[in-house]
Amino acid sequence: MFRFAAISALALTVASSAYAESFRWAGTTDPQTMDPHAVNSAPVLGFLNNVYEGLVRRGKDMAVQPALATAWEPIGEGEGWRFTLRQGVKFHDGSDFTAEDVLFSYERASSEASDTRSWFAPVSGVNVVDDYTVDILTSAPNPLFPSSIANWMIMDKGWTEANNAARPDKENGNYATLNVNGTGAFMLKDRQPGLTTTLAPFAGWWDEAEHNITEATFTPIDNPATSVAALLSGDVDMINPVPIQDAARVDERDGTKVIRGVEARVIMLGFGHEADTLKYGAMAGKPNPFQDVRVREAVAKAINVDAILKTIMRGSAESVSQLVTPAMSGYSDANADRPAYDVEGAKALLAEAGYADGFSFGLKCPNNRYLNDEAVCQAVTGMLARVGITAELEAMPVQNYWPELRADNFDMYLLGWSPGTFDHEHPVRFLVSTPNAEKKLGSWNFGGFSDARVDELLPMIQSEIDAEKRQGMVDEVTAIYQNAHAYVPMYVQPLVWGTRDNIALTQRPDNFFILRWVTVN
Amino acid sequence: MTTVTKPKSRFARFWDSDFAYNFRRSPVAMVSFAIVAILVISSMFAPLFATMNPFNPANLDLLNGFTPPGTPNDFTGERFLMGTDDQGRDVYSTILYGMRVSLFVGFAAVMLGMVIGVTMGLISGYFGGWTDTIIMRVADVQLTFPSILVAMLIFGVAKGFTPVEYRDQLAIWVLILAIGLSDWVQFARVVRGATLVERNKEYVQAARLMGRGAFPILFRHILPNVLSPVLVIATISLALAIIAEATLSFLGVGAPSTQPSLGTLIRIGQGYLFSGEWWILFFPSVTLLALALSVNMLGDWLRDALNPKLR
Repeated sequence: MFRFAAISALALTVASSAYAESFRWAGTTDPQTMDPHAVNSAPVLGFLNNVYEGLVRRGKDMAVQPALATAWEPIGEGEGWRFTLRQGVKFHDGSDFTAEDVLFSYERASSEASDTRSWFAPVSGVNVVDDYTVDILTSAPNPLFPSSIANWMIMDKGWTEANNAARPDKENGNYATLNVNGTGAFMLKDRQPGLTTTLAPFAGWWDEAEHNITEATFTPIDNPATSVAALLSGDVDMINPVPIQDAARVDERDGTKVIRGVEARVIMLGFGHEADTLKYGAMAGKPNPFQDVRVREAVAKAINVDAILKTIMRGSAESVSQLVTPAMSGYSDANADRPAYDVEGAKALLAEAGYADGFSFGLKCPNNRYLNDEAVCQAVTGMLARVGITAELEAMPVQNYWPELRADNFDMYLLGWSPGTFDHEHPVRFLVSTPNAEKKLGSWNFGGFSDARVDELLPMIQSEIDAEKRQGMVDEVTAIYQNAHAYVPMYVQPLVWGTRDNIALTQRPDNFFILRWVTVN
Repeated sequence: MTTVTKPKSRFARFWDSDFAYNFRRSPVAMVSFAIVAILVISSMFAPLFATMNPFNPANLDLLNGFTPPGTPNDFTGERFLMGTDDQGRDVYSTILYGMRVSLFVGFAAVMLGMVIGVTMGLISGYFGGWTDTIIMRVADVQLTFPSILVAMLIFGVAKGFTPVEYRDQLAIWVLILAIGLSDWVQFARVVRGATLVERNKEYVQAARLMGRGAFPILFRHILPNVLSPVLVIATISLALAIIAEATLSFLGVGAPSTQPSLGTLIRIGQGYLFSGEWWILFFPSVTLLALALSVNMLGDWLRDALNPKLR
């Protein structure tokens, strides 16, 4: 009898371990903060999507689904949107989710201190109708609004205020930088910045859990070779990204596989437009050559994107002409061509602009944010040297990189942009429209590119309901920023994830890793 | 009757000396010396031996990237003796230029450590008392930390003080400072010991009686007599300094990628180890191994050759 009990107990543990597993994954970048309103960048938002939730969320196919709101409908003739909130939702600390939390999260996420302000540029106000109904008013009709707030995460008013974190603090951090109280499928169990972050399933989650994870641990590994070694040796179950050069090996090996996709992220070069003088290099303090459109065009022509794709990206990326990929809505077919690689043409343009002898300047680059980012910047340096301009490259980890860009410490920089709304309007709002803190526009337009016509068209694009008219205006904006060479879009970054064979997961094109779709077999 | 013999030339006298005899009898010393000589000369005159200047970005063709050694590139058809790295840089030329940085940092760091260490050792041994206690306790404390850790600490602090825009230019000097300051202790301890023996000898007392000051006695009289162990430590320290530099650069806190040393090259190559581009890692590593090993062997031999007890 005793033996039988022991065997059945053993069988029980075996059976339960087959259903419930711990899961370990690694990525190059540690999410800088646990505060969902402090930093608008994919590593942070992607990670926090597991612990926090918005009114709406995106499904496996990127379609917008109800989350904390069960339904939404336009108010009147495009005056805004009415959201009906889900009842019975609890935060991780057990407090109830109500309309007050939505209003509070709006105030927090759109405050001066927040990095996500630009999301609320179209919003004129938020009204609490009752405990489970909220009106979000827009200054103009905004048909795409509900799909633009999937990453706007709702925080608990009581918890946040009790812990002195009512406003995000980008620089110094506060309680919400290290702690989480969301409504999401996972709770933050342990957070050691730069070392490990451990999540555990939230038993009181309103939705049905699809995963079978009992504990999930994220470890940032910034050396790509080390992360591949960790995957191959079984130290982690999943890595993102697999260095492109190692994808074939990870795929061929028994026990591991590679999951590929095309990310919505466009990798581009940006210029200092507003700066009157160069900040780096032998000519620091001299007039800024990048204010001349011919110089920017010369840069665009000097970059041999095909060579970057063939060697550094090993044929697994595609060149791009716009700030969005052809798969995004609003992609402008009329402006599909990118400037051809033309060394002589670039030299001629430089000579015409008065820089026949070249000049030197500072190029800033992250070294742990995008696939092979530093290698791409080095290649760009080489290509620019061939047309006679000298880039002094400085590559740094992303934690130092964004503050450097925000402080305007660059002459030229590398940026990757993935539109959170999957629409062309998104990069126009963030990267092309004139920076305007009050209107919450152009918040990632570090170089300060400015065009009156773009600023005029943007609100019209946002409120236009007729698809054809809207596309006409998007085409116009695209032509403007292309002709001005406001940026040099280079290529679309591939998604290369590596997992062990016993892991089933879903790869979303925004490179968000959603833990609740993971099953360990 | 006197026979007039022609005075021997300097070289012939050196050739006949015990030192040179010892050298000629030791194949290890000769092979090590030959390797060090070849590596030092080829890196000092790198522009003559290299096929390209790999640090002039205008010379690079990205399409040459990842060419295996000896086989023609798929796009350009060019061949490279030791292949190319991700940017299309010839690995062979990169090694020659990279070794320059390694050797320069190694030599300069050892010089710095030697100057500080010998001075401290002389002062400590000659004056004794409180001076000796303070200097030697500082040395003992520093010795309890691994020298690479001390170097990283100095490097980190110095980096904090340098303005961002000069960081790359100054990185090499900071590296020299970090490694130099982390190995003065070896010199100081040995020189102190030798000075303790020498300071009671007659010639020192004679000099003192003649009214010579302490520093002239230290540097003109004692120093030449304690120099042979210093030479041995310097040689072995050189090998260690080259390795320390490579370690720091490998960890990403040393020579910047714009002025790569062998350690930086190994760090870059390590990223391609799994993907089969072995040559980016292999050749710089073998070069570092050959360099450090031969310098070390040479140091070993030098210790034996200069030690009268082993003759």
